Amino acid sequence: MIRLEGVGVRVGQFALQGVSFTVPAGGYGLVIGPTGSGKTTLLEAIAGHTPLRGGRVFLRGEDVSRAAPERRRVGFVYQHYHLFPHLTVAANIGYGVRGVGTGVRAARVRELAGMLGLGPLLDRGVEGLSGGEQQRVALARALAPRPSILLLDEPFAAVDPATRRGLRRELRDLHEREGITTLQVTHDFEDAMRLGDVVAVLAEGRIAQAGTPDAVFRFPNSAFVAEFIGTGTVLRGTVERLSEPDPTTGRFAARFSAGSLALEVVAERVGEAYAVVRPADLTLSRTPVEGPAPRNRFVATITRIERETAVAQVHLNANGTALVAALMVTTVEELGLAPGAQVHVAIKATAVHLI
Amino acid sequence: MRRRGVPSFGVVVVWLLAAILVLFVAGPLARLLLDSSPANLGAALRDRELATSIWLTVVTASAATLLSLALGVPLAYLLARRRFAGSRVVAGIVELPVVIPHPVAGIALLLFLGRQSPVGSALADLGLEVVNQVPGVVAGMLFVSAPIVVSAAREAFRSVDPKFERVARTLGDTGWQAFRHITLPLAGRGVLAGAVLGWARSVSEFGSIVILTYNPKVASILIYDRFTLFGLPAAVPAAALLLLIALLVFLLVQFLAPDRGVGWGGGRR
Repeated sequence: MIRLEGVGVRVGQFALQGVSFTVPAGGYGLVIGPTGSGKTTLLEAIAGHTPLRGGRVFLRGEDVSRAAPERRRVGFVYQHYHLFPHLTVAANIGYGVRGVGTGVRAARVRELAGMLGLGPLLDRGVEGLSGGEQQRVALARALAPRPSILLLDEPFAAVDPATRRGLRRELRDLHEREGITTLQVTHDFEDAMRLGDVVAVLAEGRIAQAGTPDAVFRFPNSAFVAEFIGTGTVLRGTVERLSEPDPTTGRFAARFSAGSLALEVVAERVGEAYAVVRPADLTLSRTPVEGPAPRNRFVATITRIERETAVAQVHLNANGTALVAALMVTTVEELGLAPGAQVHVAIKATAVHLI
Repeated sequence: MRRRGVPSFGVVVVWLLAAILVLFVAGPLARLLLDSSPANLGAALRDRELATSIWLTVVTASAATLLSLALGVPLAYLLARRRFAGSRVVAGIVELPVVIPHPVAGIALLLFLGRQSPVGSALADLGLEVVNQVPGVVAGMLFVSAPIVVSAAREAFRSVDPKFERVARTLGDTGWQAFRHITLPLAGRGVLAGAVLGWARSVSEFGSIVILTYNPKVASILIYDRFTLFGLPAAVPAAALLLLIALLVFLLVQFLAPDRGVGWGGGRR
């Protein structure tokens, strides 16, 4: 278990302030944030490389705030791996295996090399290894002393997309097999969605939001979080009440107006607000939608279509307001959508998330 | 349009200026070696006074280099890794000897280490006479070579990313173990190259030693002595012999710091 209580750190002009976050024992936590938000500094504070100016760090339930790095028993993998260039792959992996005989150390090195497909590389120097190989060696080196906590600093940043997909899968498998409490920092929310049990969004040295990846993605608590993790289009506007509040939930039907676009929504307060419109919640059709639902329907013009492998991002202009819809590529083809075409857009009132 | 293969006027000027400087440095050294016949060099090798002087120079330069390393490497590591109050002032102080005329350094050392000074008197009470003794030679050499050793070692440590040490610490190393097993091996070539340069600088020192300890004579002072007493022909073989020793050191440095990402003071990158 990793528990941070109001952690504060200062490095030069940069400061982490009041960072509180918990990764349960055996869990996989992710800290996500833009460059310069303090992600690596936070990991280094947990590992004991940077002294705390405030707060406490608990590892395995023990307060290690003042413990030296070598006493914290964490594995650490930096973004650029930092394999020891004067040692072989085997010596790198076995570096942290202490207090055992040469045979036991060699067996542990072989075990990890086998697990991560490094067997043929053991006698080589580390120069000339590919990014993926270096990543595996760094991971094996961190795992060799059997730490119960693993800290990963953007481990996929320096590898190509195909390698990243494979490594992400391997890492998740390894995590489940070894049951190591893992905290990874990344700027890629996809890592969080695919790997994380809990996620914290870091902005300018503070936790902007923490929770399960799904909750953070679906219900961002600020325009910054929504825009950074790419939840959807963030609109700034005003909420007006249309009905009396529900006595149990306190929520009421309302109108959200942003420029010329007005959406019916379910709100908890009136006044200025941000509305997050998730691409997957927009429905597109070539003919008007019949029936009473959904509540919001309007016509928009397609400005651009970005095709990915299976999903296409359809960029829309709804009377001056830019929106994005996510559709299956096959649906885009079936509907014959193309830039310049007009489409009928529908979205449920409950799908518009107000911040 | 200029024909291919014909260098421009600018390129010719650059090559010419470069050639003048190379000749200015290489010419006198070549002339010195050419003026010393093998017979003269052989005689110089058999010259007991010169041999004693060169031996004294080698021993004192080695002692000064070892002292530079023992005192300078910790300082270099601190300057490379820690930001502390006054670190820039400390770095400046250590580099001062580079800009001070060496006779001035000799006078300053004489005032600081002479019997009349508190430090010199305390050292004398401990049985360590500095002025006009071998320790005076070492002091002069240490004064001029330490900046080179510290500067090279500092750059060598700076070239080693501190994250290597941090990884080693998470793998169970104490700070000292991480330094010994990771940082020092990675910075070692740079530190060693700095030490060799510092040693060479010690061997060539004249200005401060001539004031601190004229006798026993190190090689540079002996050569000067012979030049002033007996003229150029008497000084040339000894000078050539010292030049050969310096060339050997130069080759050693080239071997230690080849063009493989290890420069002056540079560790592996």
